[in-house]
Amino acid sequence: MHRRSFVRLLAAAPFAPALQPRNDLPPLRVVSRYSAAATPGMPGPHPGRVVSVASDRCVDTSTGKANDEAVREMMARGMRTLTGAGTTRDAWQRFFDARDVVGIKVNCGGYPYCVSAYEIVAEVVRQLTGLGVPVSQIYVYERFQNQMDEVNYAPHLPEGVQIVAAERANRNVDNSGYDPATYLEADLFGEEDTRSNMMRLVSRSLTKIINIPNMKDHGATGVTGCLKNIAYGSFSNVARTHQRGKSHTYSVVGTLAAVEPLRSRTVLQIMDGLRGVWHGGPFARTTRYVFYPRQILFGTDPVAIDRLLLDVIEEQRRAHGAISIWDRSPGSLKIDDTRARDADPNVNIIIREPGHVEYASTLGLGVYDRGRIRMQDITV
Amino acid sequence: MTALLLVVSLPCVYWTRGIETRATLEAAAIKRLCVAPERADSWRAAGFTVTPLSAAELASREALPSPGIAPRAGLASPTRSPWIVASGWRFTRHPGAKYVYDVPAGKAALAAAEAVAYGADAVLRIDPADVGILGGMLAFLEALPAVDLPTVSDVAIVDDGSSIAGEVMNLLARRNLLFQVVQAPSPRFPVNIRIGTPEYPREEAADPSGFALKIRGQLTDEQRTLRVYGSEVVICRLTADAGRARLHLVNYGGREIEGLRVRLRGIYGDGEAHVAGAGRLALQEQVVAAGATEFSVPRIATYAVIDLRTSR
Repeated sequence: MHRRSFVRLLAAAPFAPALQPRNDLPPLRVVSRYSAAATPGMPGPHPGRVVSVASDRCVDTSTGKANDEAVREMMARGMRTLTGAGTTRDAWQRFFDARDVVGIKVNCGGYPYCVSAYEIVAEVVRQLTGLGVPVSQIYVYERFQNQMDEVNYAPHLPEGVQIVAAERANRNVDNSGYDPATYLEADLFGEEDTRSNMMRLVSRSLTKIINIPNMKDHGATGVTGCLKNIAYGSFSNVARTHQRGKSHTYSVVGTLAAVEPLRSRTVLQIMDGLRGVWHGGPFARTTRYVFYPRQILFGTDPVAIDRLLLDVIEEQRRAHGAISIWDRSPGSLKIDDTRARDADPNVNIIIREPGHVEYASTLGLGVYDRGRIRMQDITV
Repeated sequence: MTALLLVVSLPCVYWTRGIETRATLEAAAIKRLCVAPERADSWRAAGFTVTPLSAAELASREALPSPGIAPRAGLASPTRSPWIVASGWRFTRHPGAKYVYDVPAGKAALAAAEAVAYGADAVLRIDPADVGILGGMLAFLEALPAVDLPTVSDVAIVDDGSSIAGEVMNLLARRNLLFQVVQAPSPRFPVNIRIGTPEYPREEAADPSGFALKIRGQLTDEQRTLRVYGSEVVICRLTADAGRARLHLVNYGGREIEGLRVRLRGIYGDGEAHVAGAGRLALQEQVVAAGATEFSVPRIATYAVIDLRTSR
């Protein structure tokens, strides 16, 4: 097996424009009784550090099927490299012990072609149980149960692992899964329900969270990576941030991710890049926009990983002749016309806000400057 | 309001079917009917409480739309900003008027709840398929503890009788902006709306949704007596005096809502929820902060009444 490992300091940003001061940001008010940990999980002990493990064997691109053995090897190499531990067990022990109640934030929105891979989720669970974390203290979670049901992780996991969601579906009727005392309050479009509440599971049960986003385009945020997955996947009533062509995700994504205790408890980022979506995201109802990066990114800094994701998605779009995720031209905008967006990668339904990643860096969630991101590439 | 008066204010089921349907009504515990005068005696003889209602009297009542949510392509989104058909604003505008609902199957219980929430004099023409569910709702309404409290309002609107003013009231109610209809501006209210004045031009009121949003901005969310979180389809009516409050919650969405969060300005202690279909439930996660009381209602399918006592 060919293996190579090297460290490189990345050059200046090839795509992303510099952050411009904006005066159109809505007032956001965070209410939380939780204080930050001494070292919050985001950006954690490895700010600005990303380990990328690639393998040509990890997915059969003709069928889309993942190779469990290759994924395990990628996971082991990634965790050992990130932590500098001598063994895989030691690497996981840097983050977790048997007393932890661990949440695994998956992404099911890209069903059927691009969701948090069963193989990655199963390997995470295997490592946690190997440390003595009881299966009853491991929660695979999403916001919507109907999405979890579609993806159906249960057959891939040991019996007893909790697979939970806050709401039965995206119908705005199930609030009991959310913490009424921990929320972001903002009036974005004149909506009456101005609160987005944190999942009770996150605020009241979990001690640690592992975030497993995919490499996906997103019509409102530009990309949906670590920040979007953990933020919009842990709070209620977030679809209200983007509508009628306008997206307030620029400031809301990072602000939600920074709300305690979510920020402190999210200690590990594992970006599933076995498969990706370069247009039409966060959904993947067709293979037309699916691609295969065949890599997994490891880190504790969600901003640094998402910064790299911006370029991954942008590069794919450029390769396919699609407009940039940074495109803000009115000519590309067909408000709410999802059919046109799905048919044509040069159509936006909302002005995207990929700047949300850099904005999150201003909240202390991580390192955005590519010149300061230390990336370690490994191929297995 | 006495218990007797409360019973009188329950909506009356206008029943056109013959006496042979008696068992259906009895099974649903519906004991009070409005019927054509020529049928009154036979229904009385069968043990029902009967109000004779002629066709002319029925026709003289103001017809109400069927309550609920309706699709409006390009104007409303089913989950984020649904189009609600509600008549609370009509009851507030003309509290002494007489109304009639003619509702399709599935809407009778909601119509009954809406009418009772506002103390409206309403007759219900229903689909017979709704007899069972309506009977359950009427039994719930009848069992509610009698409370007579003044209506709470945050803004006043001078009613010029125009349809535009009506639509503004509709949208104020839709946003749970508690309003009172007045004959002239009143210093009791921080916001007095008189459509056609420089501050509230008629052209602006022609967009009642935007207009209601303007009123909300003038009042400010902080000063609103009532806020509802966790749904865009629950419309409320609040009554209160110095010692107690009663909050009516009507869910127009057709789906049960769990964990609806309510914020009321004022310091309230113990409270309880009377929830149609679920009975008496404790309020959850009640907190008092910044001069307001917040609590969660465990569930609400169609209608709930929250009773609170002020805390000293």
